[in-house]
Amino acid sequence: MSHEPRDNPAQHREQREPEELHTPIGWPLLVVFLGIIAWGAFYYFHDLLSATGATSEAGDRRSVVVVDPTAKADGAAVYAGNCAACHQATGMGLPGAFPPLAGSEWVLASKDIPIQILLHGMSGPITVKGSLYAGVMPAFAQLEDAEIAAVLTHVRKSWGNAAAEITADDIASGRKAFADKSTPWSEAELKDKVGAP
Amino acid sequence: MSLSIAFLLAMTFLISVGGLALLVWALANDQFGMGQQAAETIFAPGEVGEVEDPATPSAARAVMQNARKAAHQASDSEELFERTIADQSSRMPVLFWLSSSMVWLLLGSVFGVIASIKLHLPDWLVQEAVLTFGRIRPAHLNVVAYGWASMAGVGVGLWLIPRLFKTALVGGHYAIAGGLIWNAGLIFGTAAILAGLSDGLEWLEFPWQTDIALVIGGALAAVPLILTLIKKRVGHLYVSAWYLIAALVWFPMLFVTANIPNLFVGVDQAMLNWWFAHNVLGLWMTPLGLAAAYYFIPKIIGKPIRSYGLSLIGFWALALFYSQVGLHHLIGGPVPTWAVTISIVHSVMMVIPVIAVAVNHHMTMLGSFRLMLYSPTLRFVVLGAMMYTFASVQGSMEALRSVNTITHFTHYTVAHAHMGLYGFLSFVLFGSVYFILPRLLDWEWPHAWAISLHFWLVFVGWGIYFWPLTLGGWLQGLAMLDPARSFMESVS
Repeated sequence: MSHEPRDNPAQHREQREPEELHTPIGWPLLVVFLGIIAWGAFYYFHDLLSATGATSEAGDRRSVVVVDPTAKADGAAVYAGNCAACHQATGMGLPGAFPPLAGSEWVLASKDIPIQILLHGMSGPITVKGSLYAGVMPAFAQLEDAEIAAVLTHVRKSWGNAAAEITADDIASGRKAFADKSTPWSEAELKDKVGAP
Repeated sequence: MSLSIAFLLAMTFLISVGGLALLVWALANDQFGMGQQAAETIFAPGEVGEVEDPATPSAARAVMQNARKAAHQASDSEELFERTIADQSSRMPVLFWLSSSMVWLLLGSVFGVIASIKLHLPDWLVQEAVLTFGRIRPAHLNVVAYGWASMAGVGVGLWLIPRLFKTALVGGHYAIAGGLIWNAGLIFGTAAILAGLSDGLEWLEFPWQTDIALVIGGALAAVPLILTLIKKRVGHLYVSAWYLIAALVWFPMLFVTANIPNLFVGVDQAMLNWWFAHNVLGLWMTPLGLAAAYYFIPKIIGKPIRSYGLSLIGFWALALFYSQVGLHHLIGGPVPTWAVTISIVHSVMMVIPVIAVAVNHHMTMLGSFRLMLYSPTLRFVVLGAMMYTFASVQGSMEALRSVNTITHFTHYTVAHAHMGLYGFLSFVLFGSVYFILPRLLDWEWPHAWAISLHFWLVFVGWGIYFWPLTLGGWLQGLAMLDPARSFMESVS
């Protein structure tokens, strides 16, 4: 190329291109390097040899929660696992879609009504606290008697509700009363055969 | 684990240490045949300039010049001619890569601020999927890593190449074409992340189809390096050239291997992921930053680098030890213990090259630190080089199991990452750009105060970012380890 240098003041002011001196590496630095290498060798072989043939241990070491099989069912836990998805953690349901449990006449009625709803489910329109809902509530007969009793008691005593406790024996007799029934309740059938709230 | 695997892996360590020992022995016995005289033959006799930093106000420049003037004469006309040719030849490609990088820096910073605000206001900007944290945060990472840091690093590298080889840049148009393709890859890659088409691996989020653009663009940017290397007019390659050549060899190897789809799955994929993610810092961005630091520090203060031997150790120890360090990100994960152990040992071995570079820079600067008061370029580059030392030693400590147990998965790591990419690399790149641009554009910086303001804003901003996150991250880690405290306590 035959470019003539342009008059760029920055290039005129500049220092020469950098170079390197051959100052020897001092021995203190080499000692430091040797120290680091020695540590590496120690850590490496110590770790590998202690790991060879050792049994592995997985997971953290916090104590596992011991489940007591005789403990009473936890209504709040059953609710969170089975009910809260529709009726919400607040028990308020979702307007227009899922009826509320808080203050619901069906929940607070005599205990046979909520027991039968849980054991067989509901289908078709139902009026709750003056609003009409048209949906489906699945049956929860697959739960243990104690679990159903616990969750119903939880629902009947939460969010301002204050109705009587329900026991596992109540559930057992509820199962026997309509043992042959295989379809969900409609509002009319429930009022007719079990009772109106 | 079987003893044979242990033995094979021990060899990795022993070979690296052996290589380093050989290097030290060769240096001690002058096997490189590079005596002081040989080093000086590169330079025309008496070629010395005056203290220079275009970002310095002229009054301050006079102070700097007086500091050195006694020892030096006027600039040698032949070298002035060479540097003019060098700068003219690299003008367009360098300007293209640098100006692209600045656009990506702005965009990446916006993504970063949005992601950061979301950590305080989780419900802010969540109406659209594209604005959620899971997309904005990887967009920030990829844009600043491959848009800002990589493009600015390549731009500075393209400017250094003809300077280091004392000849005109050959094939600059390849670099411009490469820059266009690289930009296209970034645009499509970032759009893909925002559209939810991420690869789902940190640092590798761009879909592999867009990675092809980055590979081709990067390869084209490396063409001028090779063509100019063939035509070089110097007998000895300066240390910055080693780092540049190595970076441009290492990056394609890493990036291609890590992005081949379905090459590794499961645990192997996680290991490949972190092998890449750490090497892209150590074997791509670090060499780019060190190449610039090794050039600008002696360039501005007008003194030679203290020790050729330390430069060699710094470079080769990085090359020998770095590639194994990435797996310390998987401490406690379901990967073999030996793989993690070797990465921990190699992480700590990285202290060797870091000390070598730090001592080399420090001894070069010794007696000239006062010049940082006058030169913004020097201030940026020297502070950046110091933060390289700090970030690297901090990283080696974080690799230890006892420390990692606390810092992993906390903001401590986030602060450390910004220490490296911002405190070190971005500071060095800022300083480099202030030096380079007046030479390419034939003008002087119009507002010295704006450069000063820039320095203090990023310096204070970095401090506000780094220290609280480091301290908070440590406390966060302690809280997460305490089974008596709930998770919410560790983040609130």
